[in-house]
Amino acid sequence: MIEIRDLRKVLNGKAVLDGVDLDIHEGMSLVIMGPSGTGKSVLLKHIVGLFDPDRGEILVEGMSVPRAGGKEIKEIRSKISYVFQNAALFDSLTAGQNIQLGLPEEHCRRVPALDDPLVREAIEHVNLGHEVLRLMPAELSGGMQKRVAIARAIVGKQKYILYDEPTTGLDPVNANVINRLIARLQGEIGATSIIVTHDVESAFYLGDRIVLLANGRVQASGSPDELRESRDPIVQDFLHPKLETEEFDG
Amino acid sequence: MSGWLAGIGGAVMTGARHVGRAGILAAATFGAVLRPREYRREAFVQAKKIGIDSLPLVLLVAALSGSILAQQSGYQFTEIPLWVVGNTVAAGMLTELAPLLSAIIMAGRVGSGIGAELGTMKVTNQIDALRTLGRDPVTELVAPRVVAGAVMMLPIVIFANIVGIWSGWLSAIALLPMTTHEYVYGVQNYYHAASLIFSLVKGFFFGITITFTACYVGLQAEGGAAGVGRTATNAVVSIIVLIMMLDVFLAPLYKAFQ
Ligand SMILES: Nc1ncnc2c1ncn2[C@@H]1O[C@H](COP(=O)(O)OP(=O)(O)OP(=O)(O)O)[C@@H](O)[C@H]1O
Ligand SMILES: [Mg+2]
Repeated sequence: MIEIRDLRKVLNGKAVLDGVDLDIHEGMSLVIMGPSGTGKSVLLKHIVGLFDPDRGEILVEGMSVPRAGGKEIKEIRSKISYVFQNAALFDSLTAGQNIQLGLPEEHCRRVPALDDPLVREAIEHVNLGHEVLRLMPAELSGGMQKRVAIARAIVGKQKYILYDEPTTGLDPVNANVINRLIARLQGEIGATSIIVTHDVESAFYLGDRIVLLANGRVQASGSPDELRESRDPIVQDFLHPKLETEEFDG
Repeated sequence: MSGWLAGIGGAVMTGARHVGRAGILAAATFGAVLRPREYRREAFVQAKKIGIDSLPLVLLVAALSGSILAQQSGYQFTEIPLWVVGNTVAAGMLTELAPLLSAIIMAGRVGSGIGAELGTMKVTNQIDALRTLGRDPVTELVAPRVVAGAVMMLPIVIFANIVGIWSGWLSAIALLPMTTHEYVYGVQNYYHAASLIFSLVKGFFFGITITFTACYVGLQAEGGAAGVGRTATNAVVSIIVLIMMLDVFLAPLYKAFQ
């Protein structure tokens, strides 16, 4: 379980997160939506300790992330994998080696990435061929990079998977493949997922719970059905396509 | 009136912050260096890159400076025997020019390269990704580069010395009224094992300074492509200033080597 309590973070003089509370129970999938620049990515980064909060607490299975020392943070991170919004593949490694980094170090030293059955399985899951494994990130399209990054995040079968806009930049067919993959991982290995997305359709398909983040706080939260029926103007505004223009500044 | 005071105060604070952060990175790097098994493979890759990248240019500059030393001393020593030219070239190359000029070339080639590479990794979240994957950026990136830089500076300095003294000889017999015998006599008159060791010790510390500073500056990068460009420039400038400062402090050490 991941618990976020009263999280506050000021960046460049602006309170990006200003009292965020969230509970993410085991095996559930939480979708986070919200306008561009509200701090969705910053929130995810706090969960893996890439940002230190100014106030508040983050607990991963009872362990405090902000107060974790070197060894504890390593243990926390070993339970969580993270798909970065910009893929963040290592330029100096092939796609295969990038994916293999999601596996323990001893394993990587023993098995060459190209022959690694786990790596091959992971790349199939994201609908890419084995020939992609030997390519460098610079030789891949943006959408392919994103899918390799997702393969890197799922290969280690971590308990918690954080997806920062996993389907942004993908064609509808591949976006579907990824959405089904996220749902399947949750079903098959009981993964707990946190998904940041701007895509309302994906959000309703994937989310057990959807939260709307705006102005540094959780403005609304509920099951897809609850949100659909909500009369809250913030929710209605957000679910209506007129706000899709926000995608442009993302 | 208080504007420039605030300016100075701000600069001092920034300097202190950098010293603190660099100290933390240095301590972490030192710890990581002690576990060579974890970065050995990457260290070989870096050693090849660092050595091969800079060697041709280092040798060219060493040859030019050996020739300049020989000519200038030959033209200026009118009252003393010409074999002193050999002595001067050997002394100049071993104590200063071989390590210092090699280091400055390496700052330009290796320092900017590492700064830009790590800077790019920082601004594109690759460093963050490394962390979330349970890898330690210091062990994976900093330690192999610093070790490779320190070790590769040794052969580089040796080659720079050889080429500098050789080109000094070439210039001496071609342009000055002196013989090979006189030049060699001069070199032997100066040379002692300790002078070579001094040269290597300097090279070693310069190698650490170049790679460590480049890594530190690279890991501080912020702000996209423009930030990476600034980072590469900052890396080179900081390295050159630090090396010159280090050189001043290492100079008295020469006495200890005699
Ligand atoms: N490393 C950083 N340093 C300073 N400010 C930052 C940093 N990262 C993010 N911010 C600021 O925090 C705010 C939230 O950024 P964040 O990336 O979390 O937005 P987001 O909700 O993920 O938006 P998008 O949907 O466009 O990805 C922005 O105003 C941004 O300028
Ligand atoms: Mg984001």
